[in-house]
Amino acid sequence: MAATVDESVIEGLAKQNGVTIGRILGRGNVGMAEESGGVMHATVRIPMDELVFDPGVLVLPHGGTLELEIINDDNNSHCAVLPCNGDSKFIWLVNFSKGKATLELDGPGYYWYGSRTGNDEGGGLTGTIVVGGEVPDEAKLDRPPQPRP
Amino acid sequence: MATETEYVDAGQAVDFRNLSPGYVGSAPNVTKNVNYDRILKAREEPNNWLTYYGAYDGQRYSTLDQINTGNVAHLKPEWVFQCGSMGMHSGASTYSLEASPLVIDGVMFVTGFDGWIWALDAKTGAELWRYHRASPYDVRLCCGNVNRGCAVADGKVFMATLNAHVIALDAQTGKLIWDQPYGDVRAGESATVAPLIVKDMVIVGSSGGEFGVRGHADAFKLETGERVWRCYMIPEPGEPGSETWPAEGEAWARGGANCWTTPTFDPELNLLYFNTGNPCPDFDGGVREGDNLFTNCVVAVNPDTGEKKAHYQYTPHDVWDYDSTMENILFEMDGRKCSGHFDKNGYFFVLDRTDCSLIRVVPFVDRITWGEIDSNGKVTPRVFPDKEGEPVHFWPGPAGAKEWTHACYSPKTGLFYAPVQDVGATATRRRREFKESIPYWGAGVAVDTEDVAGYLSAIDPATGQEKWRFRNEHPMTASVLATGGDLVFAGDPAGIFRGFNASSGELLWQFTCGSGHHSNPSTYTVDGRQFIAVPVGYGAWTEGFYPGALAQAGGSAVFAFALPE
Repeated sequence: MAATVDESVIEGLAKQNGVTIGRILGRGNVGMAEESGGVMHATVRIPMDELVFDPGVLVLPHGGTLELEIINDDNNSHCAVLPCNGDSKFIWLVNFSKGKATLELDGPGYYWYGSRTGNDEGGGLTGTIVVGGEVPDEAKLDRPPQPRP
Repeated sequence: MATETEYVDAGQAVDFRNLSPGYVGSAPNVTKNVNYDRILKAREEPNNWLTYYGAYDGQRYSTLDQINTGNVAHLKPEWVFQCGSMGMHSGASTYSLEASPLVIDGVMFVTGFDGWIWALDAKTGAELWRYHRASPYDVRLCCGNVNRGCAVADGKVFMATLNAHVIALDAQTGKLIWDQPYGDVRAGESATVAPLIVKDMVIVGSSGGEFGVRGHADAFKLETGERVWRCYMIPEPGEPGSETWPAEGEAWARGGANCWTTPTFDPELNLLYFNTGNPCPDFDGGVREGDNLFTNCVVAVNPDTGEKKAHYQYTPHDVWDYDSTMENILFEMDGRKCSGHFDKNGYFFVLDRTDCSLIRVVPFVDRITWGEIDSNGKVTPRVFPDKEGEPVHFWPGPAGAKEWTHACYSPKTGLFYAPVQDVGATATRRRREFKESIPYWGAGVAVDTEDVAGYLSAIDPATGQEKWRFRNEHPMTASVLATGGDLVFAGDPAGIFRGFNASSGELLWQFTCGSGHHSNPSTYTVDGRQFIAVPVGYGAWTEGFYPGALAQAGGSAVFAFALPE
């Protein structure tokens, strides 16, 4: 049993120092990467005083190369440790700065990334990159189609 | 507004490894001449640990004897390599180090959890290079975020990734050369196995036996990653062995039999000995009547074609989760080509490996209640989760009397040394529908936290008799190592790494590593000095093999021990 959730609680979960101290993870806006020239492109921003990556969930249609622009619109310094095959990518983002990262990721599956300075990660600056799609046919099991949830 | 502000250029994100003090970035070209011929004769170069088990026979035995019964008491840690854990990764509470470090002419290649592999200076522990495969947070992992090691040949290092790729890296730089996906993560497949080099191929197997997949082994060309063959361990209808599955329905297609540990190999017989996992659903045999070949088997496979040539099934129609993925150690006895295997079901099997026929079967753990195997190999089940909703307790539990962690064999003493877990469990059958990627156990299972025990046992394969036993208050959950110095090394869940007299079992040395052991120690020399290396870091499927150690400190270190200079 759980009591009915008041609207103010829901609003308070979507901001800094609302219901909790920071902002809980896994919420926020959803964005899609765009494809051109065989590469995927997307922009993620850090809005003023929100301590989140926006979109918080960035969706790639499939695995491959992502050219990511990251813009820090906040009046504090942050950073990003980003997933990438071979090694994580690191970028330091001082107040009002922008930079780029080239990421190679497999799909399907999703990856967390975050700003490792202070406890930005716990405060809300932890985002996800979701990679959709299927594995190549040659990697699949030889069996009849099976039910999925 | 910030959008009206002129932004500072933060530049391009950099490789994180470049922010690590002491990071070298390259390794000497030591693997250029490592090839099939050298691996065939691996024991002739004991300064190196060339392949997962040390040699194709799986004995985990080294002839090195500089460290011996007379001086092991002076053994000290020479260096420690710390990996650490950063950010949010899959298996956040289950990551563990399970690898067998390879060493080639002073360079160590060792894998960790979450797609890590490092080249280290085997003399100093300095980090030469690293590669980190980004691993999806949501990849299905029945038993933790783990990897059991790599293989090397022809200037390359090979490893399997959690999301079921096999990749080849440049052994000097750690840069990717080729990448081949070989499993379907949407179906619940993953990969944790240490690859094996055979001829011009790299051999791997799949994980995912708790998710109703169809287990397989795969071979790829070393040079290009081109697939050579795939061998499914569950036959499809009409193939040999399919008569052991229900004729109606698709139980075979979800039947398990994954090959998640490395096979052994007999080059004279030209046979790979794969070890196959449990049938699926693990505990609900009612939906898969029959023996369920080739689950819980040793399967001898022609490495040139992927064709099955012989098999022996250790637990037919398993309903206790008794994978037989633990190694089949190849040895000679009375002129016969034999293999020795300690099964989860609590019995030690000696087979004639020319045809996988049974020579001897004896129990090696004190408590066995699930059933009985007589001296002819006849299996009589006694206690199993048969009725829906009715709890049933049995020994050994689903992690078995010995888990995947490997035994060893010393040709010098003629004895096998096995890490034993005397732990029971209660299973309550709960039938469920199959859905891809959802665990498919067919029961609720709780492993005992009290009245558990463990031991390191020395067993004579000629008689099946136990020659000595070291009793431990904790189950023994790590692989063991035998050396020409008449020593056996074994780690335990409390973090204690011990050295024993191989003949008598006398405890001669121990060191507390600070986290539990669930990996494979190996030994090598650099500049004539012998080292014992062991990855340390407890986790993985602790709730299965020893839930009493769930709160054991995590860790992620490689220790290297040596005698004082």
